[in-house]
Amino acid sequence: MPAYHSTFNSIENVRVINGLPLLPLVTRTRGPAPYADPSMTRDAIDEALELFRPNSLFKNFEIKGNGDRLLIYIILFTSQCLNRLRPTTTQSEATKTLYSLAVANVVIPADATFPLHNMYPGVSDKSESDTLRQYLTQVRQEVAQRLVTLIYTGESVGPSKWWMSFQKRHFMGKSMA
Amino acid sequence: MGFAGNTDPQFVIPTVIGLPNQQSRYGIASKRGIEDLDFHIGDEATANSKSYNLNYPIRHDHYFLLTEPPLNAPENREQMAEIFFESFNVQGLYIAVQAVLALAASWTAKGSQQTLTGTVIDSGDGVTHVIPVAEGYVLGSSIKHIPIAGRDITAFVQQLLRDHGETNIPPEDSLDIARRIKEQHSYTCHDMAKEFLKFDAEPVKYYKQFDAVNSINQQSYTIDVGYERFLAPEIFFNPELVSSNFLTPLPEVVDTCIQVSPIDTRRGLYSNIVLSGGSTMFKDFGKRLQRDIKRLVDGRVKKSEELSGGRLQAKPIDVNVVAHKKQRHAVWFGGSIMACTDQFYQFSHTKAEYEEYGPSICRHNRVFESLA
Repeated sequence: MPAYHSTFNSIENVRVINGLPLLPLVTRTRGPAPYADPSMTRDAIDEALELFRPNSLFKNFEIKGNGDRLLIYIILFTSQCLNRLRPTTTQSEATKTLYSLAVANVVIPADATFPLHNMYPGVSDKSESDTLRQYLTQVRQEVAQRLVTLIYTGESVGPSKWWMSFQKRHFMGKSMA
Repeated sequence: MGFAGNTDPQFVIPTVIGLPNQQSRYGIASKRGIEDLDFHIGDEATANSKSYNLNYPIRHDHYFLLTEPPLNAPENREQMAEIFFESFNVQGLYIAVQAVLALAASWTAKGSQQTLTGTVIDSGDGVTHVIPVAEGYVLGSSIKHIPIAGRDITAFVQQLLRDHGETNIPPEDSLDIARRIKEQHSYTCHDMAKEFLKFDAEPVKYYKQFDAVNSINQQSYTIDVGYERFLAPEIFFNPELVSSNFLTPLPEVVDTCIQVSPIDTRRGLYSNIVLSGGSTMFKDFGKRLQRDIKRLVDGRVKKSEELSGGRLQAKPIDVNVVAHKKQRHAVWFGGSIMACTDQFYQFSHTKAEYEEYGPSICRHNRVFESLA
C-alpha cells in the first residue's frame, strides 16, 4: 500500500495552470479560487492536511493526476510551515509567522526554485503565472490558518509535539526552502 | 563452559538433577504448591545427595526432537546426529524442520484444518521468512525472505520516540524502552491515514503513557506514546517507511511465494497461512494480512475473468491467515505436540540404527517414506 493519492485527480471542468487545478475552496480568503458549492465540506486543503502525516513518511510517490500535483504543493508548504515553528511558539505568534510566510515569495511550480520543477508542465504566459500565483497565495493563507487550528490543541502553550515530530520528515525527500 | 583458546574448561556442570526424596515431600514446600522448585542441579545435587534423589536425565533413555532451519545442509544434520548419539548417548533422535513444527503448532487455533499444508510466516528478530509447506514437505525453491523483522521495528520506534522529543529517556535505556513500547502498546491498523484522524478525534483513548525506571539512578519517568503504536507494525505493509532498497510489502511477498509454488498446492497454501515468531504478535496482524492478501488474489481473479470476456468463472480462492495463542514459541510448541504423537517414535532414528549404518541415516526422513 503506497502513499495516498488525491481524490481530486478525476475532477474535470476545472481550469489547470502549470499542472495545478484551480479547485474550489471553502474559504473566506479573497482570491481567484472558484466559489465552492455550499454543500462541499471537505476541499483539497482539508484532504492535503489529512494526508500530510501519512504521506510525509513516504519517499516515493507516483503522480496520477493534477489533484496529486496540488497535493504535493500543499504538503511541501505545510512542512515548510512546521519548520518555522519552535516548541515554544505561541498560537498568536504562529498565526503571524505563518501568515507572512504564506503571502511572501509565493513560489509556483514553474519557478526554477520549486523542488519538483521538472515534474510539472510549464506556463504559457505571464498572465497565467500571475493568476496561479494569486490562487496559490490564497491556498497558502488558508493552509496556514487551518494548520494553526490543528496544531494548537490547547494542551500546552506551544504547538502539538505530535505534529512537530514531522518537521524532519520530507515527503518525496523534498522541501521548499 | 569456558573461553575459546583455554586448555581447560572454567566451569563444569555435571548433567545431574537432584529431586526430593519421598519423605521430604511432606515438608513445607508441598503445602505451598512450590514443590516443583525444590531441586538442585550439577555439583549441588551431588552435595545434597542425602536428601535428594539423583537423576541423570541426558544419560537416560530419552528420545530427542531437534529442529533445523529449512534448506539445512544434510552434513549439518549428520554432525548433529553424531554429537547426540555419541556424546550424549541418546536413545533416539528426530530432526524436524522448524516451519513444519510451526504448522503443527497452529492446530490449536480455533477452526484449524489440522493439515501439514500451509504457508508459514516466521518473523523473529533478524529476518522474516515465508515458507510454503505441502503435506509436511518444504517447497525449498519457493521460500522468500524479507530483510525486515523485530529489530527494524524496534529501531523505527526508537527513531519515532526521538522525533517527538522524548528527552527523558536515558540513551543507554533507549533501545530497551523502544522494545518494551513495541511489545506492550503496538497494534495493526486498517488504514494509516484514518488512524491519524482517530488520534486527533479521541486523544485520551489513543495516546498512551509509558512509565519506566532509569536503570542507573532508579528514578522513574514517563514517556508519551503516540503514532508509533500503529506505525511500528506498519513497516511490514509499507517497508518504504524504513528501508530504501527493499520496498515489497509482506502481503505481496506471501502472494508471490504462493504463486511460484506448484499449482496444485496453491489453494491449500492460501487457505492456511500460519504465523510464527515474536514479530507476528501485533494485535490484528493476521486480520490485516488476510485482508491485504485477499485483495491481491481477488484482484487477479477478477482481472483474468475480465480478460476471458466473462466466459470463465473462477472458483473463489479462500485466503485464511491463522493466528493463535502460541505464536511466540510456535516452533517449540509444535515440537512438543509432535513428540507426543505415537508416530514420533516410529519416525525417529534409533541408536541401534545409528550404530548399524552411521550418521547417514539422518539424510532420510521416514515421514515421506510412502511418497518416495
